[in-house]
Amino acid sequence: MFKNYIKIAWRNIWKNKLFSAINIISLAIGLSASFVIGLMVYYDFTFDKFHKDGDRIYRVVSEFQSAEGSFYNSAVPVPMCNTVEESFTAVDKAAYFYTWNAVNVKPQQSSQVYKDPDFVMFTEASFFEVFDYNWLAGHASQALEGPGKVVLTQNRATKYFPNLKPEEVVGNFLTYNDSIQTVVTGVVADFTERTDLIFEEFISLPTAAQTNQAEGILKGNWDWTNSSSQLFLKLNPNADLVALNQQLKSLSEKHQSEESKKFGQLQVYHLQPLADLHFNEDYGKFDFSSATASKGVLTSLIYIALFLIALGCFNFINLNTAQASQRAKEIGIRKTLGSSRSQLVFQFLGETLLLTLMAAVISIFLAVWLFEVFKEYIPQGLKISLVASPIILVFIVLLLILITLVSGLYPGLVLSGFKPIKVLKGSQNQQEGKAGLRKVLTVLQFAVAQVFIISTLLVGKQIHFLITKDMGFKKDAVAYISTPWHEQSFSKKEVLYNKLKALPQLDEVSLGGMPPASFSTHSSSILYQSKTGEVKLDLEQIYGDTSYLDLYGIELLAGRSILNDTIEEYVINETAMKALGFKSPEEALQQRVLNGGADIPIVGVMRDFNQRSLESSIKPMAFTGDISRSNYSQFRNIHFSFPAAAEKSLGQTLDKIKASYLEVYPDQEVEVHFVDESISRFYQREQRLSKLLNWATGLSVVISCLGLFGLVIYTTNRRTKEIGIRKVLGASLLQLNLLLCKEFLILVLIAFVLAAPVATWFLRVWLQDFAYRTNLSWWIFALSALGMIALALLIMSVRTVATAMKNPVKSLRTE
Amino acid sequence: MLLQLNHIYKWVKQGGKRVFLLNDISLQVEEGKFISIMGPSGSGKSTLLNVVGMLDEFQEGEYNFLDESVHALKEKHRSRLYKEYIGFVFQAYYLIDELTVYENIETPLLYKNIKSSERKALVADILDRFNIVGKKDLFPSQLSGGQQQLVGIARALIAKPKLILADEPTGNLNSKQGEEIMQLFKELNQEGVTIIQATHSEANAEYGNRIIQLLDGSMRA
Repeated sequence: MFKNYIKIAWRNIWKNKLFSAINIISLAIGLSASFVIGLMVYYDFTFDKFHKDGDRIYRVVSEFQSAEGSFYNSAVPVPMCNTVEESFTAVDKAAYFYTWNAVNVKPQQSSQVYKDPDFVMFTEASFFEVFDYNWLAGHASQALEGPGKVVLTQNRATKYFPNLKPEEVVGNFLTYNDSIQTVVTGVVADFTERTDLIFEEFISLPTAAQTNQAEGILKGNWDWTNSSSQLFLKLNPNADLVALNQQLKSLSEKHQSEESKKFGQLQVYHLQPLADLHFNEDYGKFDFSSATASKGVLTSLIYIALFLIALGCFNFINLNTAQASQRAKEIGIRKTLGSSRSQLVFQFLGETLLLTLMAAVISIFLAVWLFEVFKEYIPQGLKISLVASPIILVFIVLLLILITLVSGLYPGLVLSGFKPIKVLKGSQNQQEGKAGLRKVLTVLQFAVAQVFIISTLLVGKQIHFLITKDMGFKKDAVAYISTPWHEQSFSKKEVLYNKLKALPQLDEVSLGGMPPASFSTHSSSILYQSKTGEVKLDLEQIYGDTSYLDLYGIELLAGRSILNDTIEEYVINETAMKALGFKSPEEALQQRVLNGGADIPIVGVMRDFNQRSLESSIKPMAFTGDISRSNYSQFRNIHFSFPAAAEKSLGQTLDKIKASYLEVYPDQEVEVHFVDESISRFYQREQRLSKLLNWATGLSVVISCLGLFGLVIYTTNRRTKEIGIRKVLGASLLQLNLLLCKEFLILVLIAFVLAAPVATWFLRVWLQDFAYRTNLSWWIFALSALGMIALALLIMSVRTVATAMKNPVKSLRTE
Repeated sequence: MLLQLNHIYKWVKQGGKRVFLLNDISLQVEEGKFISIMGPSGSGKSTLLNVVGMLDEFQEGEYNFLDESVHALKEKHRSRLYKEYIGFVFQAYYLIDELTVYENIETPLLYKNIKSSERKALVADILDRFNIVGKKDLFPSQLSGGQQQLVGIARALIAKPKLILADEPTGNLNSKQGEEIMQLFKELNQEGVTIIQATHSEANAEYGNRIIQLLDGSMRA
């Protein structure tokens, strides 16, 4: 029986090659997208699921609340770490650690020095009580007792001590920063499953006393939170979270400083579940090289997958019910031969399953290709081989069964419901009954495609707007080069500065901090004593020498720029001017503000410019010189502009710049950052969204058009006779085409009417995130609707023209 | 007694009036009979066959088939009954285009859940009997009309029905092919299969041992 079903299914598929191909391709597109997306979702949601008692592990994090909004920090003040375990009964174990950026590390026997080892921390035995590691050598309880001890992961142990077994590694010495001696006391196995706890070297906490940050790491104070000071808790099995949160709240209130109270600021502690670590952007992960996964993005991806699959299923339902009349005879015969309705339904489901399986096979290849296309989207650790994991396989099987049921059950029920004598008498060969449903599904398909098209157009327009909008400073033909971060010597920077200044190919050269717009912000809070009262303001600062403002074409509205490179003077922007309560630029001149102990005069007011991506508005800002040079120089970059005609020789100029750089800093990597490129990098997320939308649009349009094509073929076939008669009666080709296309064009238009408000709503919400936004112009909608209509017409006319051109004698002869 | 129709009425409403398709039909069919139903187009021949074959319903009357009251049976039960005892032969053959000769003949057995080995034997027997072994892998479109009807009859017989209902079985065939088919029916009848056929042709009707004349849904003789 089953074999028979498969056989006839195969022959039916083969007989209607075109329809089968349309069905298979549309399903395969939806399936491949959902395979890839399913893998991404599975991947991101299976981080750190393997820890013993993982549901009881929390990280304590800080939210700084103030009138201006909240700031987040994944860390807590050091003193807190020492009190939680004793003070709070809900806490079983507390693990404090400090993530440390060592400059270098050298194994004793090796001549090699490893620079910037990553994922190093200072911690205590408690860390290994919270997180269960597999110890290959050494003991969790003793390994980190006292100063000068270090535990390595297997991975690191192999790197520093190749060819040694774990137990042989123990007892070897590692020297950090050329002076801090440690002995390896243990080796733990790396976590084999997905994890964000990527630490590799665990140095005993007392060792930190030998570093220059000893005070900050070991003691700290309640008013100071360094993002390296992390605290993980393992709670008791029946811990009362509400009570614990209450205790944390009173703790933060108890240690609120007088100044914070005065300005309404409070550091609130939260418990972040381990499962949240991979997703929470506010607090971040430990590996900065990749961003936290976004549940929002994953959700939208799931929706896209669902839409694409639904569109494929719609095609299936449409084409199969449309074709019903062709199969009616077979059904009638089978019924007279004794088939029951359920047997027929199973037969159709079998056919659908076969088609779905074929689509699945094709979608595997498509998925591999999509994987390539979306490389930048897909987390590095995610490999397509993850497909082989049992959960994913079960998911795929369930998905295929679900698709089979969704797309096969309805046509199966419709077809199997035919009354055999009616079919055999021929009175049911014009099966028109289900045209209503087909219309609804077609409208839905095109509505989804329209929403995608409108979104694509608008997101593209917004990106163009963001990138080309005048940010208030010169960003074309300006670039900068960064000096190595660990080279503090100012004289070297000056040497490089002078070398670049001597290059005739460069227009202007300036020593300074970051360019006017960048990802980094320096901000300090200042006080201004005005006539009416005290104003407190968070003031961002950018640093540069006397030619910085000129180089970036930042206009002064009043006053002057700073007199020399290190003078304590502020040139404030308009926003800061208004925030401090000045009516005009002139009014602000020669006023003084307090920054910490320093009393700094305002010498100029500059025109506002955007300091960050245009998602955010302009913040109060001051331009100043290298005021803290004696401690720490803010001048880390050398900026330069190219003359207007530099395009042609740009390559040579860049080579010269790099050569000069290497003369001053040998063995370093040189990178010239063009300001316009760094600015367009602000919009990476938007550009990625745009790419995703392009694909979703393309795929949904392809599926919908395939379905439309199938339906048009079906309708024209059915109406061949009518067309022949009309032609004999004198209808022109154009009139016939119009006649054939009309009913579908109406559907496309209805789809647009449905899609426009939905798209408008979504896009309004999306645009809310931008301080500067483009308009939802009418032409976006017009273009989208016209494009869709043109495409639909094109597809339909492929078929309708051919039908209309048929010789009526031929089409009528069969009757 | 194989089947018994008592005062069967079937009508459709047209413009508020009843138009009778079957008007007070009473009929008793003994096992082993060969009955021909004659009458002009639209006289209700096919409708009567469909009612007897349980493919069509009727509004009034009683229908007993092997002591079961068909009019009182549920769809499922009725389908089991005709699957077991009735075979159909149509004027337009109604073979499934996508199946080969072999598979067309095999299909009724599939719906009776007969085992694979047994199916093979049964199909082989009948192919042999009808001399169409060589054609078993051909598709219907590759056969002549007479051959197609032969397959149709083979398919109707494969499940060993007690009753064969033939609706104008020779209507699409030339006279020579028609004669061969009628000869076949006669042989089958002699082997004990009950046959009811609808036909236009006097000559074909003569093969039967009883002729029923229909006009506008009523029996005349």
